[in-house]
Amino acid sequence: MKTIKALVAAAAVAAAMCAAGTAMAAYPDGKDVTVIIPKNPGGGTDTTARGVIQMMQKDMGNIHFVCVNKPDGNGIVGMQDVANAKPDGHTLGMVTVELDIFPHQGKTKLSYKDFDSVIAPIAAPAALIVPAKAPYNSLDDFIAYLKKNPGKVMMGNSGMGAIWHIATMAMEKEFGVKVKHIPYPKGTADIAAAMAGGHIDGTLADPSSFKSQIEAGNLKILAVMADKRTKMFPDVPTFKELGHNMAIRAWATLVAPKGTPADVMKTLRDSATRVAASEEFTSYFLKQGIDPTDIIGEDANKMMANDDAMYAEFLAALKK
Amino acid sequence: MDAIIAAFSQVFSIYNFLLLVLGTVVGIFIGAMPGLSVNMGLALLFPITFTVGGLGGIIMLLGIYCGAIYGGSITAILLKTPGTPASAATTLDGYPMAIINGQPGRALSISTTASTFGGVFSVVCLILFAPMLAKIALQFSKPEYFALAVFGISMVTSVSSGSVLKGIVGCIVGLWIATIGLDAMSGMERFTLGTLYLSGGVSFMPILIGLFALTQVFVNCEESVGTKQQKSDIKIDSVLPSCADVKLTLPTLVRSSAIGTFIGCVPGTGGDIGSWISYNQAKVWAKDSSQFGKGDPRGIAASESGNNSVVGGAFIPVLTLGIPGDGATAIILGALMVHGIQPGPLLFVNNPAGVYTIFLGLLAANLLMGAFGFSFIRMFARVVNIPRQILLPIIAVMAIMGTYSYNNSMPDVAIMVCAGIVGYFMHKSGMSVPGVIIGIILGKLAEENFTGSLMMSDGSAVVFLEHPLCAVLLFLSALSLFSPMYRPMLRKLFENR
Repeated sequence: MKTIKALVAAAAVAAAMCAAGTAMAAYPDGKDVTVIIPKNPGGGTDTTARGVIQMMQKDMGNIHFVCVNKPDGNGIVGMQDVANAKPDGHTLGMVTVELDIFPHQGKTKLSYKDFDSVIAPIAAPAALIVPAKAPYNSLDDFIAYLKKNPGKVMMGNSGMGAIWHIATMAMEKEFGVKVKHIPYPKGTADIAAAMAGGHIDGTLADPSSFKSQIEAGNLKILAVMADKRTKMFPDVPTFKELGHNMAIRAWATLVAPKGTPADVMKTLRDSATRVAASEEFTSYFLKQGIDPTDIIGEDANKMMANDDAMYAEFLAALKK
Repeated sequence: MDAIIAAFSQVFSIYNFLLLVLGTVVGIFIGAMPGLSVNMGLALLFPITFTVGGLGGIIMLLGIYCGAIYGGSITAILLKTPGTPASAATTLDGYPMAIINGQPGRALSISTTASTFGGVFSVVCLILFAPMLAKIALQFSKPEYFALAVFGISMVTSVSSGSVLKGIVGCIVGLWIATIGLDAMSGMERFTLGTLYLSGGVSFMPILIGLFALTQVFVNCEESVGTKQQKSDIKIDSVLPSCADVKLTLPTLVRSSAIGTFIGCVPGTGGDIGSWISYNQAKVWAKDSSQFGKGDPRGIAASESGNNSVVGGAFIPVLTLGIPGDGATAIILGALMVHGIQPGPLLFVNNPAGVYTIFLGLLAANLLMGAFGFSFIRMFARVVNIPRQILLPIIAVMAIMGTYSYNNSMPDVAIMVCAGIVGYFMHKSGMSVPGVIIGIILGKLAEENFTGSLMMSDGSAVVFLEHPLCAVLLFLSALSLFSPMYRPMLRKLFENR
């Protein structure tokens, strides 16, 4: 009986000390931090997320990130889990541009307002890519060609209602043209294959899957829908430069649930800032054909808010 | 020549070779565990490629890829639980041979031989014909994909043992399951019942695990009731296949490997499709196909060489075009780019040493996989001697854990259990499980490319006849679909002469 009492007492003391420990220890406290990735393992979002947190783990030291892939429900389930998690810095998530699109398609009530950003390491712009032997060599040529051949030019996208389809529709609206939308639901690799085989005439999509075909001279890239030129294709003009203020980009942002303490957010953002400034960060992504961005903290929140407003307006206009 | 020597020194340096061994063993393990997918294994070990210098990391990934496709066959044969979707067709003949006929050693040795043969065959094709095959693969547009899918679906009538009608019903159920979720061709949601989970579609893996593993547990439980457990003690004389088996399966091996290599090089298809089409072709070409589904060695050989040869084929579009055909090769493509190897049309000019390293690495991975396979057969086969009252609970637990870990999703587990219960009643009523599986695997491919073709042609169905390859495949599909109707007539005709 005595031993049991002693054990109980010891356990109580230990528990109390642990409790005191957690209350006092500054973040990071060495406990596991779950990072929910709402996409399949091996995809672009997954590699990006794993790369960034690996570098942040090295930078911060006393922290251990654990990745969990939750691709259910087109990623909404995973994003919801992040939003509902206890905002104490022990659950983070990698949310994607769909977070700004899905709410306006009635697919979820979740929005960017439920999260607080750490860093957006990737914001791949929609790039206008066409076969090298196509008779148009600039955005204006292409638009002129579209006007002459309304509804005939086949443009690949990654699924109806998905981001590259929206980008193509935005182009149609901006220039008053019509194209034929051809979906390739498995993603941009299939669009690249279809273009290399000469089955479609162009696409507006993330250029990274097309890089090797562009470098080999089979495809050419006419313009990108970004605020500034990309690191990967510095010679390619932006739509903005050409007089059309359009920015459609597939971003992924490392976020914490809204309400995470300010000091925790600061620790994470400071680490992300250091990581993003490193040589390793740039080369890690460039080597994989991903154009890295360093949109950190409030800037990333602003980007998500801006894009949300843009999709809200655009998708509402489409319904009419 | 310099490039080849450089590649040799890369692959066969002690350090890199050990990494290859590690990768192959890990791959076999990942493949054998239902729920641990090839992609997951690759994604988990992908970061290691940064820490190990040079091409060692890539070589390790090649080992994982090859090993995992093979590993899936071990559980498929011994437990009727395909470790990966690519090995589902192996259960049809593997399990009857190993358990019902009591020849686990023979089944495993045939599957190991077939896997190694298919793997090596496809790498040789990759080395010799890559640019040519890539050109053919690029001809595949939406109508051709549609025709390929229909060709696959048309084989339900010949694959399903027993009633043709039940096979077709199963297939229709499978096709229906494939339509659940967000339809990317229209942006509309279908059969989601307003739930979030179903809007992403039903994952294939839980259904596969349920229909095979859990169903088998239920069936075995029922059989065990009231019967006294006999201690089985199966001894294995030889781990190498007998001469007779090699002679019998050789034509099948060559045919299936060729089919698998081609399926692999068409982007967007994979080991699951490769093994089913190979299996069906083996059955169609066999003079006496009565033993298929009851433990015919050609069935195992076809499925296993069909799925392992997809590996070499899948590297064709990656290396020659820089376009990955599936998730696994996309990860390997990423790893290559990290090491400054940019796959694509320029690769063979810019970095021949890199190309040869991949060739040699794949070849070595396939041979190692075979070597490990043969030396593990005795150990694997002991699973058969485990008493049922211990084995069945283990399989049930493995099925649940594997399903959960696949997507970290509880609804997936519920789907798996439902599939297991449905599968039990299907078994009782003689419904064909392969039909359902084929429907699910090929349903999306068929539907998306059907609507896609019509979008391209502005709704004109003539497009399917304008593409010659598509028209031929559709014609063959019709022949295959109606074969149960005309085949007895043909046979009578020949016999009367």
